[in-house]
Amino acid sequence: MDIYLKNIRVVNPLQNLDGIFNILISNGIISYFGTVPSDSIPPETKIIEGENLICVPGLFDIHVHFRDPGQTHKEDIYSGIKAAANGGFTGVLVMPNTSPPIDNTQIVEYIKSKSEGQIVDVFISAAITKGLEGKQITSMNTLAKGGVVMFTDDGYSIVNSEVMRRAFDYSAPFDYLISQHCEDHNLTQGFSANDGEVATKLGLKGYPKVAEEIILSRDVLLAEYCNNRRYHAQHISTKNSVEIIRRAKEKGLRVSCEVTPHHFSLDETYLETFDTNYKMNPPLRSKDDVEGLISGLKDGTIDCIASDHAPHSAFEKEVEFEKAANGVIGLETSLGVTLTYLYHKGHLTLNQIIEKMSINPRKILGLDPIVFKTGKSANMTIFSLDEEWIVDKQFFKSKSKNTPFDGFKLKGKPKYIINKGMLFTSNL
Amino acid sequence: MEKEVLSKPYLLSSDDLTIEDVNLIFDRVKYFEYHYSLGATFNDLNGYTVALAFFEPSTRTRISFEIAAKRLGGNTILFSSATSSLTKGESLLDTLHTIEAMDVQIFVVRHSGCGVPLFLQRNTNKIVINAGDGKHEHPTQALLDSYTILKHFGYINGLKVCIVGDVLHSRVARSNIILLKKLGAQIAFSGPGTLIPRHFSIWNVNFFRTIDEAIDWADVIMLLRLQNERMDSGLVPSLSEFSRLYGLTVERISRKPELVVLHPGPVNYGIELQYEAPSFPNVLIQTQVTHGVFVRMALLSLLVKTYESRAK
Repeated sequence: MDIYLKNIRVVNPLQNLDGIFNILISNGIISYFGTVPSDSIPPETKIIEGENLICVPGLFDIHVHFRDPGQTHKEDIYSGIKAAANGGFTGVLVMPNTSPPIDNTQIVEYIKSKSEGQIVDVFISAAITKGLEGKQITSMNTLAKGGVVMFTDDGYSIVNSEVMRRAFDYSAPFDYLISQHCEDHNLTQGFSANDGEVATKLGLKGYPKVAEEIILSRDVLLAEYCNNRRYHAQHISTKNSVEIIRRAKEKGLRVSCEVTPHHFSLDETYLETFDTNYKMNPPLRSKDDVEGLISGLKDGTIDCIASDHAPHSAFEKEVEFEKAANGVIGLETSLGVTLTYLYHKGHLTLNQIIEKMSINPRKILGLDPIVFKTGKSANMTIFSLDEEWIVDKQFFKSKSKNTPFDGFKLKGKPKYIINKGMLFTSNL
Repeated sequence: MEKEVLSKPYLLSSDDLTIEDVNLIFDRVKYFEYHYSLGATFNDLNGYTVALAFFEPSTRTRISFEIAAKRLGGNTILFSSATSSLTKGESLLDTLHTIEAMDVQIFVVRHSGCGVPLFLQRNTNKIVINAGDGKHEHPTQALLDSYTILKHFGYINGLKVCIVGDVLHSRVARSNIILLKKLGAQIAFSGPGTLIPRHFSIWNVNFFRTIDEAIDWADVIMLLRLQNERMDSGLVPSLSEFSRLYGLTVERISRKPELVVLHPGPVNYGIELQYEAPSFPNVLIQTQVTHGVFVRMALLSLLVKTYESRAK
């Protein structure tokens, strides 16, 4: 298949690239970049007029849950891939809390074989501990040889410091990336909202900010103690967490972190109507935290924007608030929310957004960077920066509809992705 | 004739009530108290079926609503979770729609989960009344408490009310704070640091370290039940220390006999209240219960009127 991108604005901060170009892609390879001789365009070429569109290195979501194996009524690898493609992502990192969890190479092989040849590249993170139980570390070397690029117990934060120390020490000779969903579970038993004003009024058990910050601080100390290990903090949600990462980076530690679009765009007041589509872990925080997260995005403390795409079925969400499952989907709104709340509000430049949604996640995971030039394979996302649209969850490709953004008016919209010689057109 | 409808055709939170609504309800309470004492009968709820949907154990609130509905000529059906299909795993929404399909117009809901009445109200066009949801709210308790205070003092504006004990886990406290503040009372808390909400400053209330300090300040002491599980989970180190700091004793009441004492029940004697204390005239626990029925009659009758006026 041949694709011709005609007069399109191409932006890639890695190459200091920002200008209008013509690109011809043949069988997945960039055959011409810059100018395309008209006699080199084969008949039947798919032509995309570049007017009002921007072409960037394929977006990458470093935190998604595809629920496969085990909970495919919520999502499976195919529907997850479609949701990613529809939202403008050419790469994702799936989390290990499947059923059974990704703690052995059989599950890794299953996911690899199911996602092989698909338009979205599916990378795999595996558990730090067997069965996500927080006790015995997994066979990290075997898993890494099988293709695993990161280790995390995700929702099951490792509270035991000795286990975390072993994970760092064991991984040290191979320099694996260790990642954590930071939560001191002793402080969050039975929580369903941020421990703040709204939870106080509603009578809900609160999730204190310090439950996140205590584990994050400890991990940073341990990563340093274990000879400066690679450490990635997942979906940080508080102002103090930003400050902890900021100080660690100033010290020269190899730590990175991500934030979700819902945490920098929404706050705890959305819970006042007990709407379970605003219930997730970590919970929506206070306005002060939202400001702190945005400042961390601006000054580079926060490296990545990740959706924490967490599908749940209606029957798991349309129930008593405190019983409802935690989590929201995000792949199909991530780009629109980011452009609306960060670019159009003047907090981040387009280059910064591309760094946080494409370049940095790949860099943190040690993946090859995407460069646009003749002879390279084409891995790209094409979106509109200014198109306004109303989010309608009925158009989502995800099997689940648990979005906090249904009905929101957004500015900026995914249009196409191109990867492995394939083209996907978004229907949003 | 005055406006005879409430601002909302349901009651989920004390926040649903305006001052005009409260006055309307209290006028209606007085009407029912007076005419009931003369032996009158009422038909405000004729043709209505009230579902007492109690997903959590309750004695006084359930019976109070049941008597109120029956005195108004309504039918009641009792639904309790222990004997229902919920134990077979039926979802709450299915349960709601099942009861709804049997032509029930009013749901009185008690549930251990915060926000459940609001969740049900969003999914039905019938009348929903919150009879206590988790640690969130219990607005009819607040109404009967306010009515009891009003009847005793003749006014509420400017009165000092201290809520003592386990405020953190108390829906009674949350509904009372909203309603009493709306009616002009000053509010304070007293209780162990582990049972007072960390962010209580959002309510702009005072705090007293011990019940003795609270008594010095207050016109009304509102005691709360200390649940055994607070002890078991280690939030309170010992009952003896709790009752020494926050228990209302005969000796403490004797120091300020004009002090009014309320308790939503059921009482843990010997912990938050000494067994002999209710014999004091200003300990109004039984009066609260009596008022409860008339308050719920008033509320039911006005909600039905409001509902009908909207249906027209």
